Amino acid sequence: MVPISEYATVQEGDTLFEAVLALEKAQEKFDYEHTPYHHRAVLILDRKKKVVGKLSQLGVLRAILPKNERTQQIEDISRFGFSTKLVNSLREKYRLEEGFVDDVYKKAIRIKVEDCMQTLSQGEYVDEKTSLDTAIYQLVTGMHLSLIVSRGDEIIGILRMSDVFGAVFHALKSCELTE
Amino acid sequence: MQVLEKLLDRIIQRVNINLRELGFDVTPYVHELAALNQMVKFYAFYGITPQHPINFQFMHSNLAGSYFLGRCRVTNSLLYKSDIRGDELKKKGAVFRFKQYEIPITRDEEIDIEDSLLIKTLVHCYSHDPESLEKFFIKDTIAMHYANIHGSPSDGCFLAPFSTVDLTTMHDCVVGEFSYIQAGEISHIKIDPGTVWIRSPEKFNFLYRFDSRQLENYIKFIPGSKPKGLLFDFVEDKKKDFERIFSLVNIETPRSVPVSATLDRYAVIKPHTKISDNVLVAQRAYLKNSWLGKGANAQENCYIINSRLEGCDVTAHGGKIIEADLGTKVFVGFNSFLRGSQDARLTIGKDSIVMPHTIIDISSPLNIPPGHIIWGLIRNEKDLKTNSLPIREFSGIETDFSIGNMIFEGSGSSFVSGFKDRIDHILDSNGAFFNGSENKGHAQKNQRISFNMIQPYPMGELKGLFPSITIQP
Repeated sequence: MVPISEYATVQEGDTLFEAVLALEKAQEKFDYEHTPYHHRAVLILDRKKKVVGKLSQLGVLRAILPKNERTQQIEDISRFGFSTKLVNSLREKYRLEEGFVDDVYKKAIRIKVEDCMQTLSQGEYVDEKTSLDTAIYQLVTGMHLSLIVSRGDEIIGILRMSDVFGAVFHALKSCELTE
Repeated sequence: MQVLEKLLDRIIQRVNINLRELGFDVTPYVHELAALNQMVKFYAFYGITPQHPINFQFMHSNLAGSYFLGRCRVTNSLLYKSDIRGDELKKKGAVFRFKQYEIPITRDEEIDIEDSLLIKTLVHCYSHDPESLEKFFIKDTIAMHYANIHGSPSDGCFLAPFSTVDLTTMHDCVVGEFSYIQAGEISHIKIDPGTVWIRSPEKFNFLYRFDSRQLENYIKFIPGSKPKGLLFDFVEDKKKDFERIFSLVNIETPRSVPVSATLDRYAVIKPHTKISDNVLVAQRAYLKNSWLGKGANAQENCYIINSRLEGCDVTAHGGKIIEADLGTKVFVGFNSFLRGSQDARLTIGKDSIVMPHTIIDISSPLNIPPGHIIWGLIRNEKDLKTNSLPIREFSGIETDFSIGNMIFEGSGSSFVSGFKDRIDHILDSNGAFFNGSENKGHAQKNQRISFNMIQPYPMGELKGLFPSITIQP
């Protein structure tokens, strides 16, 4: 688990740009002695320091995609059973016609984090006393990249899939070596 | 009336439960529009012919102004001015072919409508669901004005006005106004208004989407109010003509109708209309000052005004043709609206295919050459360039093609041959190729038909409800 104090956090009302800076800062400060994996998300806190959402790398990428009637129509096409190849060719056509320009980034950095964050579901919280086995079930069945670790009402850290995978990997290796 | 109100509330709740995953509440769309007062006023009627097995079972339902043919069961439902046409249902002993399967039909198929509200809706064809061969079910479903449920079993769905679901099984879906879906099977999906989607997995996929702002001129349906727009106004304007023919007990068939043709007594025929051999004019069709050449047909809710159809033209359910000249074997798909004017006639060359839910609305003359396939919204020559192709060119598509608001993927030749085969099948089953002794179809078989009426309770606790009744041979 990564303690919450070492994790990247921003407050409601902050922008996507501030979230990216917070992530960069947390990555610089992070102690990589026990794990080679970088932080990949930012937690969003309310005024009472309660976690209200999570902004993942996927969330950031999703936020910067141009959103207008035409792009919406292109994305909507996948629902109708067209191939990825065709949908991609339409995206390319749009990109050539409209341009995927710096303006997109200029607009994106001003987006408020609460407009692009993912709110957390009940299945994304895990009590600090939960066994690693059970936490693995929770990650796998919910297809989550991390779980929020709680102690009563307090959030104390993040259990990242990369760290869980690291622990499992070491266990598998030591198992093989002892046999 | 309490009994009808309870029935309506029950239907709304059942549909809402099915659509909860989509977050769609039908209540505001339906509650004020289901004219329960009107439902007490009209009789229902059913047809008897030697050709169609009958087994009508009506239970705890209102059937005001609705028509039934073939084997139909209606339970806990409200059907207002709808056509339940079971003259193409599968018969015992037939074989249903689906992919590599050949499945024998063990009993005559029936249309089974339960816990549903259908307003001015057409139900026709047979169940194309390989999992439900002997039962064409419509369950927990609401279909609004001029919707078509064509060979499409439905469970837990909402169909907005002028929508069509064709040869597709639906579960828990919302189909927006003026959308046409032919996709085999769909579930848990909300289709936006003005979507024309035709898909045959592994073969082809066609998608056209109307611009929502342009479509609103023709049809707009917002919660709490009646449908609005040119399409709705057009049909509502002709309502009085239909009221007159429905109020008369006996109507003589005009002598000018050939013996090989059928003119339904519930069709409106205005002066100067020519009906040729092998023509089929279905109930609720409207013809005025028009020429229908040999083998042409006008199906339910069709309007053909000041127009000439040379012969073997198919005007599918809900098609409207005004001030137009159609060459031979032109197919006009479901709910299409083709409107020329006296000074701006529309001409469509022979062997052309007007795709379902096409709107052609012109203010200058427009000439579409023979052998074209046409779709979408066309108001002038410029629109025609992005909404049509010569059929030969369309057949040549091998991977994908997009133009205007249309996207196509797959084999163009499969798509075109699918349409052509279907047009031939329609002409054949409608009797267009009858030669005096062979190839009889609906135009010949539906001539000797007796109509019987049933009426609802006029007052009392059961006011508006039709008596539960079973009618068998």
